[in-house]
Amino acid sequence: MPQLPRRTQLIGAAPAGAVSQFPRPPAGQHISRRRFLTSSALAAGGALSVPLLGACNASTESGDGKTVLTVMYMANELTKEQIADFEAKNPDIKIRFIAHDGTRLNAMLASNEPPDFVRGPAVGSARTNAQGLATELDQYLDKSSVLNKESLLPVNDSFRWDGKQIGSGPYYGLVKDWSQDATLWYNRALFKEAKIEPLSTTEPISYDELLEIGKKLTKKSGGKTQVYGLGLEWAWNLYAPLSMMILQQGGEVYSSDLTETDMTTPQALRALKWYVDFAKAGVGPTSLDPAPDGADLSLFLAKRMAITQDGYWYGGNFVEESDEIKNNIAMAPAPVMGDKRISPTYAGWGAYIPAKAKHKDEAWKLMEYFMAGKPSEDRAKSGWGIPALKSQLEMMPQELPYQKQVYQTQQAELEYAEQLPDSPYIGGATAWDPVLNKHLLRAIKNEVTVEAAGKAITDEINKLLQQGKDQIG
Amino acid sequence: MTTKGTRRRRKGWQRYSSRTFYLFASPWLLGFALLTALPLGYALAISFTNFDGRSPRWRWVGLRNYTELFDDADVLASMVRTLAFTAIAVPIMVAGGLGLAVLLNQRLKAVGLFRAIFFLPSVVPMVAAAIMWKLIFNRDVGILNEILDVISIPPVTWLVDPNAFYALVILILWGLGGGMVIMLAALQGVPAELEEAAIIDGANRWQVFWNVTVPMISPVIFFQVVTGVIFTFQIVIQPLLLSQTREVGQVTHVPESTHLFMVQVYEEYFANNRYGYASAMLWVFFLVILVVTLIVLRSSRLWVHYEVDSEADR
Repeated sequence: MPQLPRRTQLIGAAPAGAVSQFPRPPAGQHISRRRFLTSSALAAGGALSVPLLGACNASTESGDGKTVLTVMYMANELTKEQIADFEAKNPDIKIRFIAHDGTRLNAMLASNEPPDFVRGPAVGSARTNAQGLATELDQYLDKSSVLNKESLLPVNDSFRWDGKQIGSGPYYGLVKDWSQDATLWYNRALFKEAKIEPLSTTEPISYDELLEIGKKLTKKSGGKTQVYGLGLEWAWNLYAPLSMMILQQGGEVYSSDLTETDMTTPQALRALKWYVDFAKAGVGPTSLDPAPDGADLSLFLAKRMAITQDGYWYGGNFVEESDEIKNNIAMAPAPVMGDKRISPTYAGWGAYIPAKAKHKDEAWKLMEYFMAGKPSEDRAKSGWGIPALKSQLEMMPQELPYQKQVYQTQQAELEYAEQLPDSPYIGGATAWDPVLNKHLLRAIKNEVTVEAAGKAITDEINKLLQQGKDQIG
Repeated sequence: MTTKGTRRRRKGWQRYSSRTFYLFASPWLLGFALLTALPLGYALAISFTNFDGRSPRWRWVGLRNYTELFDDADVLASMVRTLAFTAIAVPIMVAGGLGLAVLLNQRLKAVGLFRAIFFLPSVVPMVAAAIMWKLIFNRDVGILNEILDVISIPPVTWLVDPNAFYALVILILWGLGGGMVIMLAALQGVPAELEEAAIIDGANRWQVFWNVTVPMISPVIFFQVVTGVIFTFQIVIQPLLLSQTREVGQVTHVPESTHLFMVQVYEEYFANNRYGYASAMLWVFFLVILVVTLIVLRSSRLWVHYEVDSEADR
């Protein structure tokens, strides 16, 4: 019989111990009110804390001696069937699944009781890695027969951290699947109606041209927008596309030590101005003209949006749609602002093993299964994202006509994949976006100039970066 | 002897009574200790650190968070905005609840049905209500603009500045039913003979309402004002859900006019991961709410009428 971990034994013994530490008064002696209250509170507190502690600090072994692997992921990405399949293939492991919740994850990390396997993005991992919260995976990659460094596409490099920068050094996570999120999807039928030539599926359009086409495709009537020419998923991310625009012009988002930003450079101001012009033209949803559900998909499917900026994953939405949709959609390369063609991923969702995880070896087994086993092959074949392994690229679907076109465009786009800058001193888009949105809106409403907005963004983000530096050291 | 014995017995009885009280109150006391006092103390401790909510790397920063927030223009602006929102929303909420209660206190056919209809929105979960209103307010597909269109009013972009402020007030007013029920109960507790006496003395309906009914229900109005002030100060879910916020911890694009103090706190916690700073904000906010509530309490001496003179009983 396997020996129970020490913590489990303590938890099991706690109720009796909690009560017995408050001795009864001698017979015939009255207990004082204060003592009664203190005792009651402590006893009840002790009794209450047992299940609470038990909930926070679940046993790492099940009753039948299996290792309990705590996994925090999205239920639609790591399904019950996949979990059952993994458990069947690894009879000594039982998965305790927790739906992904950033706040709960933070609490678990802070209390040194993290899950063993956690969902996380590659772009934005710098902070986690700089804080020493993730496990270095090189030792596992070097020994693995199914996952090794040679098999990984460069997108995984955003999970690398050398102590100063992303892109080099050990791997601290692996990408599940990804997309080059600046690519464009468009509806040919709406182009035809507006008598505009469809976008090239091989050559990138410039952002300025894209805005002009967006204006021509936009239809308004009676103060309402019937058709949006161009959607940018404003509610999802402003930081990543703005960064891409800056990099495409040869600019930088952060200083070399990642502790400062400057959004008053000519490159940054041009990018900000493009966004201001886009919003003023009213060609797509923004915070000043929000989409009903905050996303472009419903508008695009309803033929109320001609172009939407989304990655390869977007194609997964259309497989079950009508032939009218499938026969009219197409994907175009990411637009460019400047001379350098860059087509990055905005996130690259994957997984990491926390540094304080209790079952790292078992978590690695799940990593191998999830990233290189049947789930990864199913994902690659589904069209919901680009696989993160070189060997699986050819599995991407090409059955439907639109899938063939998308596959070809996407293959050519891979050449321009590049990592977005990621500072460990700030929480990525989550911290950038409210600041960008606030000052962009002021510029759009002509309350401030674009230059003043750039200065205000610089000041606010630098303040956050400084605080992050103060925190991480 | 007799006196001593009586005293002893009374002391024993008193002790028994107190124990019973505390025993029955213990679930609440425990809940308060574990779920309120402990987190409050924890937040106070965190407010003196640069803790980011997850990293073991944090340190004591003394009063830095407190001094910094008084220099933070966004914090001050959101505080002023919250005070303004409270000053506007609470009187409308209280007057609206009272108005509805007066209407539904009449002898009408199917008055119970009307009461249920007006009360129903207040039992709909706020998240569901906010999502529903977000769709109602949508410029292009929302039903509100469709209705306006019928009367030839051009579509309004409700969910952006400055209209977002009014949209939030409308959303809050949608839940008036809860206050209405309390006001209704208070109205029905007003002795009819007092109103009849006033009518016999020559008072018209308005004079009866203003000089008899309102003073009689003023303790309930006072209760509504106090709870309304605390409620509006703490509003956070509604502005987040009316805007383009996707989920907790994710991006927020809340319009400036509805960027209330608690929204600022939310962003500091979940977008900027500044747990120490946000905790300091909450403690300062706690003191602000306390002061405002005490002011309202003190003002009650001037306008709240109690049938029992509590001062005379002492």
